[in-house]
Amino acid sequence: MRITLDKFFTVLTGLAVMCMIAALFVILGPMIYRGLGAIFFRGTVEFRKMQLAEFEHGNIEKIKQEDIQTKQARQAVYNIIDKFRNGIDAEKLTDQAKQIDRTFGKELQLQDTERERYQELRGLSRDIRDKLIEAFSSTDIEQIKKHIDFVLRYESDERFRKTSAAQYFKLAHEFAQASEKIDFEKKDLYAGELNELEDIIVKLLGPDPNGNKPVLAQKRYGAARWDQAQKLMHELFWKEQWIEQENSKTLVRIETSRAEQFAGTELEPLFAYIKDNSKKMLNPQITFYWRYFLDDSTPGHYFGGIGPEILGTLFLTLLSMVFVIPFGVISAAYLTECSSEGPVIRVIRMCINTLAGVPSIVFGLFGMAFFVLFFIPFFGGPSQGCILAGSLTLAVLTLPVMIRSSEEAIRTVPQTYKEASLALGASKFVTFVKVTLPAALPGILTGIILSLSRVAGETAPILFTAGIAIGPVPDSIFQKTRTLSYGSWDMAVSDKLAAEVPHNQYGMVVTLVLLILCLNALAIMLRSRVFKKLKGH
Amino acid sequence: MDNIKSEKILKPAVVFEQPLVLTFTQDVKGFLFRYIGSFLLFLFTFTSVFAVLLIFLFVTLEAFPFLTKFGITDFLTSTAWYPEAKDGAEFGAMAIIVGSIYVTAISLVFSVPVGVLASVFLSDIISFKIRGIVKPIIEILAAIPSVAYGFFAVLILAPWLQKNLGFSSGTNALNSSLLLSIMALPTIISVAEDSISASGRELREASYALGATRFETMFKVVIPAAHSGIIAGIVLGMMRAIGETMVVWMASGNAAQIPNPWWDLSQSIRTMTASIAGEMGETAKGSDHYRALFMIGLLLLVMTLMLNLVSEYFLTRARKSLGKV
Repeated sequence: MRITLDKFFTVLTGLAVMCMIAALFVILGPMIYRGLGAIFFRGTVEFRKMQLAEFEHGNIEKIKQEDIQTKQARQAVYNIIDKFRNGIDAEKLTDQAKQIDRTFGKELQLQDTERERYQELRGLSRDIRDKLIEAFSSTDIEQIKKHIDFVLRYESDERFRKTSAAQYFKLAHEFAQASEKIDFEKKDLYAGELNELEDIIVKLLGPDPNGNKPVLAQKRYGAARWDQAQKLMHELFWKEQWIEQENSKTLVRIETSRAEQFAGTELEPLFAYIKDNSKKMLNPQITFYWRYFLDDSTPGHYFGGIGPEILGTLFLTLLSMVFVIPFGVISAAYLTECSSEGPVIRVIRMCINTLAGVPSIVFGLFGMAFFVLFFIPFFGGPSQGCILAGSLTLAVLTLPVMIRSSEEAIRTVPQTYKEASLALGASKFVTFVKVTLPAALPGILTGIILSLSRVAGETAPILFTAGIAIGPVPDSIFQKTRTLSYGSWDMAVSDKLAAEVPHNQYGMVVTLVLLILCLNALAIMLRSRVFKKLKGH
Repeated sequence: MDNIKSEKILKPAVVFEQPLVLTFTQDVKGFLFRYIGSFLLFLFTFTSVFAVLLIFLFVTLEAFPFLTKFGITDFLTSTAWYPEAKDGAEFGAMAIIVGSIYVTAISLVFSVPVGVLASVFLSDIISFKIRGIVKPIIEILAAIPSVAYGFFAVLILAPWLQKNLGFSSGTNALNSSLLLSIMALPTIISVAEDSISASGRELREASYALGATRFETMFKVVIPAAHSGIIAGIVLGMMRAIGETMVVWMASGNAAQIPNPWWDLSQSIRTMTASIAGEMGETAKGSDHYRALFMIGLLLLVMTLMLNLVSEYFLTRARKSLGKV
C-alpha cells in the first residue's frame, strides 16, 4: 500500500511537469503554426496585384501578363452571371429598356425626323418599352409570352431597323430565352440568392472589372491567398443554413448545394466552371512573404505586414533601455560595493521588491498621471501619450529586473579579482570600472536582454501612455506608436476586420512571441556560458 | 587578469621616497571624491525608492478627490457599478473586487497542487540532466508575454470551451483562471523548488533511514520543513495573478457581476485590472469615473503591497530556518 502510494505520487509529480510542458505546446503550437501562415502561403494573382498596387513590389510585366491570363479565365463567370441576370433582374432590365427608349429618341432628334413621324415613332417606342417592362416584372409565363410576342411583332418593321431601337428585340429574345428555363415562382428567391452569390464572387475574384475602384483597400482585391479562396469557394458551392429542430432549441447547421438550388437555370454551369477553372482564375503560387516584417498595413491589417509595429516596439524598448541601464547598473554597484547592510539599504531593497510587485496596469496609471500629465508637460512637452512617456514608464517597470540581475552578476565576480586589483594600488572606483564591471559584463548583458524581453511584451503600461492601434510611423519621440503587443491585443479583441484574416492576427502575436523567446534563449545561453567560465576558475 | 595592462604593474603603486602622509589637497580631494561620489551613487540607487513613492503619491493624488466625494463604504460594499450614468453615477466596486479575488483563488486551486508537485519532481525525483532541460521550459512559460496568453485564451481556448463544454460564452471565469494558473506556475515553482531543494540532505537521509518512502519523506518531512518558502512562492504567484491585466481583460468576459451560484465557472466576471484597462480609455480626464478607476488602482496597489510584505515575511522566515539547519 505504501509502495503503491509512493509510486502513485512519483507518477503524479511527473504528470504535473508533463502538464506544464503540454500547456506550453498547446499554447504555442497552434499559434506558431497559424502565424507562419502569414509568411508562407500560396498567394494568388490577387495577392501579387495587391503587392504591386499598394506597396510597389513585384515584376510589373509578369503581373500584367498574369492578370490578362486570369481575366480571360474569369470572363466566362461574368458572362454566365450576366446571362442569368437577364432572366430575373427586373430592375436592371427595366433600366435597360428605358435607356434604349431614351437613346432612340435622341437618335431621332439628331436625324431631324419630321414632326409627325417623330411622334409616331416615339409613341411606338414607348409602347414597346412599357410592354417589355410589364413582361420583366410579371411572374406569369402566359402573360410574358403575350407581351414578348407583341414586342417581336415589330422586329421586321423597316422603321426600326438599324436604329438603336433594334436593341429592344435583342433584349426581348434574351429574356424570352431565359424565362423558358426559370421557375417563375422562385424569381424573388433567385434574385436574393444571386446577390449573395455575387458578393462571394467579388470576395473571391475582386470587384467587377467594369465597376468603379472601391475606396477601401480590402475591397479592391479578391482572395489574396489560396486558403482564403478555397474557403470562399466552399461558401459558394454550399449554402450554410441554421435550422431549428423541433425538439431541441439548439440550431443545427445544414449545408445545401447551391448547384442543386440553381439546377436547370442558366447559372448551373457556373459552379462546375469555377470548380474546374479555379486555379486558372487565381493562379496560386507558393509565396514566401518576407516583407511581412517590413511592410505597412492597410487598416485592420487586412493586407500588408507589421513593419511599423516592429519598428515601434524597437523604439520603445531601446529608449527604455537607455533610461534603465545606467540606473540599474549604478544601483546594483552601490548595493553590492559601496554599502554595508543597514536600515537604509533594507528600505531600498524593500522598495525594489515592492516595485517588482506592482501590477503592470498600475504602472500604466502611474505613467499616465505622472509622465503624460505632469512630467513631460512640465518640461514643455505635449500632454499626450507618446513614445517618451511609454518608454519612461517601461523603464520604471523594468528597473527591479535590471537591478537584481546586475547585482547578481556583480556578486558572482570572484572576490580574488577585486583583491588583486586593490592590492596593486588601484582605488575602489578604478577597481570597479576596470576589473569588476568587465568581468560582470556578460551577466549584466543577460539582465539587459531579460529586461528587453519583458519590456517588449508588456501591454498594460502602454495602453494609456504610448500605444495606438492605427496610425502613421512616428517621426519623433513625442508621438504615439504602434507596437507588437498593443497590436496583438487590438487584433484579437477589438478589430472586427482583422477577424477575417486570422493569419495576420496570428502572424503579429507569433512575431512578438518568437522575438521574446529568441531574446530569452540568448539570455539563457549567455548565462550558462558565464556559469561555465566561473566554474572553470 | 588580462584586463590590467602590464605597464601598470611595472609602475610601483607606492613611491617610497615620498612620505606616506597625504598632503592637505590630496586629503580633501580624496575625501570629496569618496563621499560625493558615493552620495551620487546613492542618489541613483535611491530612484527605486523615489519611484515607489511617486507611484503611491500620484495614484493617491488622482484617487483622493473620489474618496472625499463618495467615501469608501459604498465603494467597497455596493455592487452597483454604473460609472457613466447621466444622473447619479454609482461606483460600487464590490463585484469587481470579488471578481479579482475569485479568479485568483480559482487559478490557485489549479496552480498550487501542480506547482508544488512539479517542484518536488524537479528537486527530488528527476536527474540533474533532465532538470536542465525542464527548467528552461518553465522559464519560457514565464517569458511568454501576457498578451500572447490572452490571445490564446480569446481566439483558441474560448471557441474550444464553447464548442466542447457547451458554455454560452467561451470568455468566462474558467478560461481566465486556467490561463492565470499557467502564468502563476513558473513563479510558484521557482521559489518553492529553491526552498525544497535547499532544505537539507540530512533531513531526507534521516527520514529514508527510518524506512519512510519518498512520498512520506516529502509530505511529512521535507515539505513541512520548506513550508515558508512554498507559501512565499504561492503568495508571489497570487500577486502575479491578481495584478495580471491582459489575460483577464481578454478572457473573462468583462461583466461586473458576482458569480451566482458561486461555483459556476462558466459565468463572465470582471476584475479590477480589467476595469481599469477597459474603461480608462473612454473616460474624461478628471471626471468622477476617472478618479474611481484610480481608486481601484490604489486598492490594487495596496493589496499587492500587503501581499508583498507577506511574501517577504515568509521568505525571511525561510532563510532563517534554513540558516538553523
